Amino acid sequence: MVNELRDLMQQLVTSPPEGDSDLGAVLRDGRSRVRRRRRGLVAVVAAAATVAAVAGVGIFSGGEDGDRVASHPVPRPDGPVLRLSDATQAAEGTDYDVLASSTNKDLDAANGQYYDGVTDDGLILFRDGPHGPENRTRYALLDPATGEEDWLPALDEQGQVWPVALGRDRLVLVALQGMEEAGRLTAQVFDRAQERWSTMTWTGLPELTMAQLPKVGTDGRLYVRVPATEGSPPPGGWPTGDGGEADDSGAEGDTYDLWSVSLEDRSDVRDERLRVGSFAFTDDALVWTDTTNGTNARIHVRDLATGEETDLDPRSGERCNLLSFGVVGDKIVLGQYCGDYDDGRDDRVQVLTTDGEPVTTIQGDGLEGSVSGGLVQVTSYGGRTAGTYVYEPGSGRFVRVSDGVSSYALGGPVPDGYLMWDTPVGEATDPQEPIPGATQWLVRWRS
Amino acid sequence: MRERDEADFVAFAQGARERLRRTAFLLCGDWDRASDHVQEGLIRVYVAWPRLERAGREYAYARKAVVSAVLDHARRRSSTEVAVEPDPERPAAGDFVDTLTARAALMDALAGLPPRQRACVVLRYFEDLSVADTAAALGCSQGTVKSQTARALDRLRSIFEDSPLGELTLGATSW
Repeated sequence: MVNELRDLMQQLVTSPPEGDSDLGAVLRDGRSRVRRRRRGLVAVVAAAATVAAVAGVGIFSGGEDGDRVASHPVPRPDGPVLRLSDATQAAEGTDYDVLASSTNKDLDAANGQYYDGVTDDGLILFRDGPHGPENRTRYALLDPATGEEDWLPALDEQGQVWPVALGRDRLVLVALQGMEEAGRLTAQVFDRAQERWSTMTWTGLPELTMAQLPKVGTDGRLYVRVPATEGSPPPGGWPTGDGGEADDSGAEGDTYDLWSVSLEDRSDVRDERLRVGSFAFTDDALVWTDTTNGTNARIHVRDLATGEETDLDPRSGERCNLLSFGVVGDKIVLGQYCGDYDDGRDDRVQVLTTDGEPVTTIQGDGLEGSVSGGLVQVTSYGGRTAGTYVYEPGSGRFVRVSDGVSSYALGGPVPDGYLMWDTPVGEATDPQEPIPGATQWLVRWRS
Repeated sequence: MRERDEADFVAFAQGARERLRRTAFLLCGDWDRASDHVQEGLIRVYVAWPRLERAGREYAYARKAVVSAVLDHARRRSSTEVAVEPDPERPAAGDFVDTLTARAALMDALAGLPPRQRACVVLRYFEDLSVADTAAALGCSQGTVKSQTARALDRLRSIFEDSPLGELTLGATSW
């Protein structure tokens, strides 16, 4: 007896039961996701802790010209404004020194090897994979001076993990358990002296999302956000611009409850009784916003030594959605999407002091910003201004370090004075397809 | 999304969803879950729609989105569930043929394949995609498709040959 595979498979689906997908639900969820995608992307990329193989589509719409700012009626931000064209070209040997680079020629075809961050003592957290039928990933600490890899013992957790603290004594990688967007937090902690992984979970901690990665506070505890309220789109969805993209500027933001956990004691879970949007630590302060992923009216600063709190009005534009948040020294950095105008997007990276004084706003079409290595890293995705830029909050120096960005979210946490960026390798086979390869660059910044 | 684009998307989704559901069913083995995967895939298509070229690539993109949704689900499930090993106590050959038709036997055999091997088989021999197009749909290399397909076919053939159902051939292409 001969059985034909093609024929059998056709027979299997000849008479499907009723149960078509609900197109109304598709439209409703699709409209909602367009908004979440635009708002969520920067937060994830700003966290820069994972590789997202972006299959099929570009990760950021961007503009034809990242330096083009719509002339009407784009409002001018308060204080000094920088355009990408104001940046001078950075030079190796003058502005930075390249410590290491790594190229994957085709990440669209298969996973490769990645720099996932830098430890406080200057070693690269080097990731190989996931590879193979079981999608196994292995990690090493790579010395950029010698190129020598010290492979770590196998990590049990083989799902998506994000490095959040790469210290001299321990490495902390976090993951979410569960099948939904929110899940139970686990931390994989590598004791560098013992050369041993341990898994931390906290039964008293509510489920959370990874919209913003957990942060290790100055007290060594891990601070996390537990979803509290979520902004909703207006009835009928968001208005769309000429390009067909939803314009969700001026959105109602989301809030979270701040919790913290001990990295040594699984029973030590604490509700900090503080509702926040985004948050960050300086050496001596906790800084947070009221909301995130939407408009935000106030920023709060708590002196961790005295508990004294102050708050300030960041004077962001009325339509500005807060997408990323960080602090560098006494400067607060806000990444924002502020609406679509006749000739492009109004994207901003706003820098202000913890007293609320404006320092500068980098404004353009199709850019985003984040804090990394004690610097403000700006990425532009479109046109002739595409590439990575660096702004030094202390000196005001603004330079361009590359003229292109890869199609992948690469990188991870680095200590002050280090910087990572990535550049594209190869050509996309189709405008809708990602550029296949990427090179990661690790540099030591010269201040 | 503009109204006209949304109308185009709805027309596309209405025309494509049943075919996508059949593919999803072969990938996951359950009609209800197949509907869920198609729904998730179409949402992803909606998000990408303004940027999709309108030159016949919508369906390929939608198929890729559905396959991705199925594999995402399988990967998440595999991290929380213990994989089912082949049952050494499964019915003897005589019982097997008595209780299962060839179609059911194939469905059973597909269920025993790793998700990506199963996807290779479905895309190559149900969707009749080339190796290159299968690789594009799965986001992997052509070599991976070839090796995964070969392993899957070896497994399927051995299951059939070890039963009274007899030989399993690929069958004629539809073109």
